This record gives sequence, structure tokens and C-alpha cells, in this order.
Amino acid sequence: MKNVVEVKKLTKEYKELKAVNDLSFEVKEGEILGLLGPNGSGKSTTINCILSLLNFSEGSIKIFGQEMEPDAYKLKEKIGVVFQDVAVFEELTVIENIDYFCGLYIQDKGLRKRYVEDAIQLVGLEEFKKFYPKQLSGGLLRRLNIACGVAHKPKLIILDEPTVAVDPQSRNNILDGIKTLRDQGTTIIYTTHYMEEVEILCDRVIILDRGQIIASGTIDELKKLAKLEEKVTVEVMELDSKYIKEIGEFKNVEDVTYHEGILLITYKKGKNNLVELMDYLKNAKIQYNKIFSERPTLNDVFLELTGKELRD
Amino acid sequence: MFFHNFKYSLKTLFRNKMLIFWTFAFPIILGTLFNMAFQDIEKNEKLDLIDIAIIDNDYLKNNPLFQETFQVLGEENGEEQLFRIQYVEEAEARELLSKNEITGYLVLEGINHPKVVVNHNGINETVFQSVVEEIIDIQEILKNVSGKWIQDNIPDLTQDINSGIENFDSWYTVIYQDIMKMLDEENIRIQDTSSDHLSYTMIEYYTLIAMTCLYGGILGMSAINQCLANMSSNGKRVSVSPISKGKLILSSALASYVTQLFGLLLLFLYTILVIHVDYGTNLPLVILLSLVGTLSGLSLGVLIASVIKSNENTKVGIMISFTMLGCVLSGMMGITMKYVVDKNIPIVNKLNPVNMITDGFYSLYYYDTFHRYYFNVISLLAFSFLLIGISAFCLRRQKYDSI
Repeated sequence: MKNVVEVKKLTKEYKELKAVNDLSFEVKEGEILGLLGPNGSGKSTTINCILSLLNFSEGSIKIFGQEMEPDAYKLKEKIGVVFQDVAVFEELTVIENIDYFCGLYIQDKGLRKRYVEDAIQLVGLEEFKKFYPKQLSGGLLRRLNIACGVAHKPKLIILDEPTVAVDPQSRNNILDGIKTLRDQGTTIIYTTHYMEEVEILCDRVIILDRGQIIASGTIDELKKLAKLEEKVTVEVMELDSKYIKEIGEFKNVEDVTYHEGILLITYKKGKNNLVELMDYLKNAKIQYNKIFSERPTLNDVFLELTGKELRD
Repeated sequence: MFFHNFKYSLKTLFRNKMLIFWTFAFPIILGTLFNMAFQDIEKNEKLDLIDIAIIDNDYLKNNPLFQETFQVLGEENGEEQLFRIQYVEEAEARELLSKNEITGYLVLEGINHPKVVVNHNGINETVFQSVVEEIIDIQEILKNVSGKWIQDNIPDLTQDINSGIENFDSWYTVIYQDIMKMLDEENIRIQDTSSDHLSYTMIEYYTLIAMTCLYGGILGMSAINQCLANMSSNGKRVSVSPISKGKLILSSALASYVTQLFGLLLLFLYTILVIHVDYGTNLPLVILLSLVGTLSGLSLGVLIASVIKSNENTKVGIMISFTMLGCVLSGMMGITMKYVVDKNIPIVNKLNPVNMITDGFYSLYYYDTFHRYYFNVISLLAFSFLLIGISAFCLRRQKYDSI
């Protein structure tokens, strides 16, 4: 597959702070690449550099094999961007906003009308066409923001935290829309600090911290970095310390903690752990409310690599 | 794409209530307030007729300037009647004055030696005294002109004048009368264009129009901010689109210009039809100057939006401060300021776009030729193109250090 985006040794400094430090990565045609990292990790700065909005100290950026410059208009025709901040005109209705931004790319009125309708359908705003932005809820506004960025059917879409502060219904709608775009063959760069979204959407993930790549690969590849395979959580009202000690001596157990009625056991390897634990609890006559097992998350990977949580 | 952006910029500007208030409503409100304030002033300016006496002697008969001026100012039901005049002997005048039947009397004690006699200090006395002083000033101007004429044409006589010959006054009278006759035949008028004679009300309306023209800068600034990535989210989105910045800014600026012109049209219609401001016979030229003035305001807004690295509120603050300062310096808060600036630091008003606009208006009102008017129009055009050029240079291929 061809590289749609190539970033090489990108460095962006703000006075003494290196917001992006020697960053290199590629985005393949048709894939969704997730840029995952906490706030301030350099995701948006990287995007702004890719879009030639920001000056950068070192490195090079190519999109569709061509150097990205402020006046690379042919290149810009193929790109759609959804910024973190909602970028719409308060004085224009939903349909006018989408038509305006789409019109900056598509001159043919008939084609544009069709594209605008498609975008409205993609984000589920059919009932709100004549509404002004101030009449929309936060979630609907985010959907409008996305529609404005993708209405012209670009080949590369960059979505910078499009689901921040969005209600679950709108989030699902947005994620479904992005899957539809992917199915249509669009290449997508998706930045977020919500690991669940990355796990649902992305083919490949780059984890950023302090402007540097700390890990990259597919979800499975990354999870192997977490050095654990299973987490079991048990809700127990009371638990003697001797039981905690005995559980800690089980085969494969990496760590056991008990805090405020929650017993959390992490395993290095993950076969038949839950069965063994349930047998032990039954024999020791320990009563519990809930017991469940989880695979490690990207947050665990981040924790393993940086010693802090993704949302810290 | 140019028309597409123009159309939507126009829509956003016309639907922005705050901008519409400052551009459309505010000048009309200000115009209404001016009208309310100055109507009274103008009414109060219409003085009651002043009773005076003039001593009818030979000196008066030989001084056509005094004679004719008081004839006009004393003409019964005449448009310029200011005095009710009695031509009497000096004794009778003294008696009238003692009985307070007249404000004062004028006696010429030599062909060029007028004396005003009054009993009290007051507005009427001051007006009477001022009129006489003004005639003396005009006479002095004519005397200087005549002297120059004599110097150029009859050098021998100049020598006599300089040596103070006794019969100079009679020579002067003959020459003066010839010159007045010549001026009259050539249909030449001497018009006083000093500040005391400008219509205060018209100055305020002209400054109001100038202010409205420059307020177009706020519209321009607002439209340009929507195109700049460091000023708004919309600017970021527009900046990554495949439309060139030049085309984008030009079409947005044009939309602001059209919106502002609409505001000016409303102001003109309102002032002409509702509060009955008389712009004279030069209305098309007043409109032309307004068009150019609006362009200068717009270019100022574009410059501030493009060059100053600050948030939108600061930029609007700078724009309004600049406009208001320009208005003050060109006489909005008192005509004296304009003349103080013109006299002491003329370069300030030469570069002040508000002054260029108001000065253009004054020149239409007070001069029969259009040189000064067109000088101001060309200056405003040069000012506008210079600012737009600087803005274009600053915005070209612009990337930011931070957003």
C-alpha cells in the first residue's frame, strides 16, 4: 500500500519546550491511524504541522508524495479536516454551513448539493438542516463540525479529537460515520485520548507522550507491551489479609490489590485464571457480588510505558 | 469560489446583530442626537435684530465697503438682516444711546478710522463690534492687495507710499474703488473661509459620515478574522481549504465593503429624508468621497487584522480607538481641534483618514474648484492601496509559530 502521509524527523519547538520531538511515521492508503496520547502530548501540534498551519523547526512532511505548503492547493483539495474546536458560522444554518465549506472545494453546484445531502445523512442531521448552530446540542454541533470537514469527500481525513464532550448517542453516531468513511476507502488520521475509540476504529496506533512516539503498532502488538494478559476484578465486602496473600501466590499472578471492597488481580498469562480463582473463593467461603475478567487496555500499555494514566 | 465566499460572507455579516448595530444603527442614532442637539444651537444662533445708528457723514459716503455692508445687514426683511439701522447725526445718536433705544452707534472719524460707541457690555454690543472689526479686516486685506497691485504696476507710487505721503488716503480710495469695480465686473467674490464661518452642524455630519466610513474597518476586520487560522476556528478550517488566501480575503473584504455601503446608504437616506440635512448640490461627489472613505476604513481594518498579532477584541479596540482619535483630531468634538492640529502638527491630519474625508467634504462646500476635493480623494485611494499592499505582503504564504 502507498504512503498517503510521510512525516520524517518532525520537530516543533515553542521557545524551550519541544512540543514535537523528532517524530517520524507514515499513514498507509485506506487505513485509520490513531494518534493516542494525553492532553499536551503533541497530537494537535503534529496535525497543525502536517496541514502547514504551523512553522516547524526541523523535518519534512509529504502528503500523497508531495511536499505540504500553504499554497499547495491541489493537495489541499484531497484533504478534509475536523478540528478539535467546533468551526462553524453562528450566522449560517446547518445546511448553509456545510454548503459553504463544501463550496470551498467543489464548484459544481449540482454535485455540491448531492455531497451536502450525503454529509447530512452521514452524521444524522436530517432533521436539523434549518437550525442555527446555537440551537443545536453539544453532540449535534460536533456532528455538524464533522459534516463541514468531510462533505467534499476527501481522500485523506484528519480528525482531531472529534468526540470531546459528546453524549454517548452522538459519539456512536460519529464513530459509525467514521467507519462508513473508512469502508469507502478514505485514509484517516484520528487523534484522541479516548483509548476505547482507538480500539474500535484504528488499524494502527501511535502512542505519543511529550511530543515523542513511545509505542506504535496494531492494537494487539501494543497490548503485548503491557506485560500482562488478564485482569480480574472481584467485589468483596470484607477480605482478610491472609486470603490476599494466598491469592498472590497463585501461578501467573503478577499483582494483587484490595481497596474499598474491590479485589484486583493481574495475571502475566491468561488461561483458566478465572476458574481457579472462583474455585478458591468458593472453598474459602468468601462471598462476592461481582466477578469479571478483562483483557489489558491501551491505558495499561501507557501505564506500563510511562508510569502514568492516559488521562492524567 | 470568489463569488461563493462573497455570498456567504455577505450573509454572515448581515446576520451578525452586533456588527449591524455598530455599522447601521449607531451612526443613525448619533445623527439623531446631533440633530436634536444642534437644532437648538442653530435656533439660538438666530439673534434678535439689533438696533444701531450710523453717523451719516462724508467719510461714510467715501467708504463703500462700510456703506454697502451695513446696507445688506440692515436691509428690511433681507435674508442677512442683522441690524435695524438709523442714519443720524452724532448728537442724535448720542441721545438715542442714552435712552437705550440703540445698542450703539458707528462713526467714521476718517476714511479708515471707524469708532463704535456703546454703553454696556453684552451679546448685542459684541456682535456689533465684531461686524465692524470684520469689515476692517476685509478692508485691510483689500488694502494689501491694492498695495501689491500698486507695487507691481506703479513702482514710483510705492516709493511715495513708503515715504508716507500725505495724500495716500485719497490715492488709496481711488485705487480701491477701481479694484472693487473691477472685481464686481469680473463677478469675483471675496469669501472668508476661516473656521469661524464653517457651519458647525455640517462639520458634525461630515465627521459622522467619516466615522461611519472608517467603521467599515470593523466589518473588514471581522471578515478577515474568519479567514485567519490564528484568529478563529473557522479561519483554521478555511486556511486548509484549496482557495487562495488572496481570493478569500478579497472576496470577504468586498462583502464587507458592500455591507458598509449599505450602512452608508441608510445613513444618507436618513439624514436627507428624516432629519433634512442639506448636503448642497454636490451630493454625487459627497457619495464618491464616501465610497473612497469606506475603502480606506476597510483597508485599515484589513491591515489591523492582518498585521497585529493579538486577539479579536484587542484588534477591535485598536480600530475603534484609532477611528475615534481620528474623529477628534478632525473636529468631531469641537472644530477648534482640527485647526489647532492643522496649524501646529499638520502632518497628523495629512495622514489622518478621517481628516482626509472631512476635509474633502469641506472643500466641496467652501470652494468652487475641486482641486482640494480630488487631492483628498487621491490621498485616500493612495492610503487604502498602501495599507492593502502591506496586508497582502504580511499574509502571503503565512504560517504561524503558534495557533
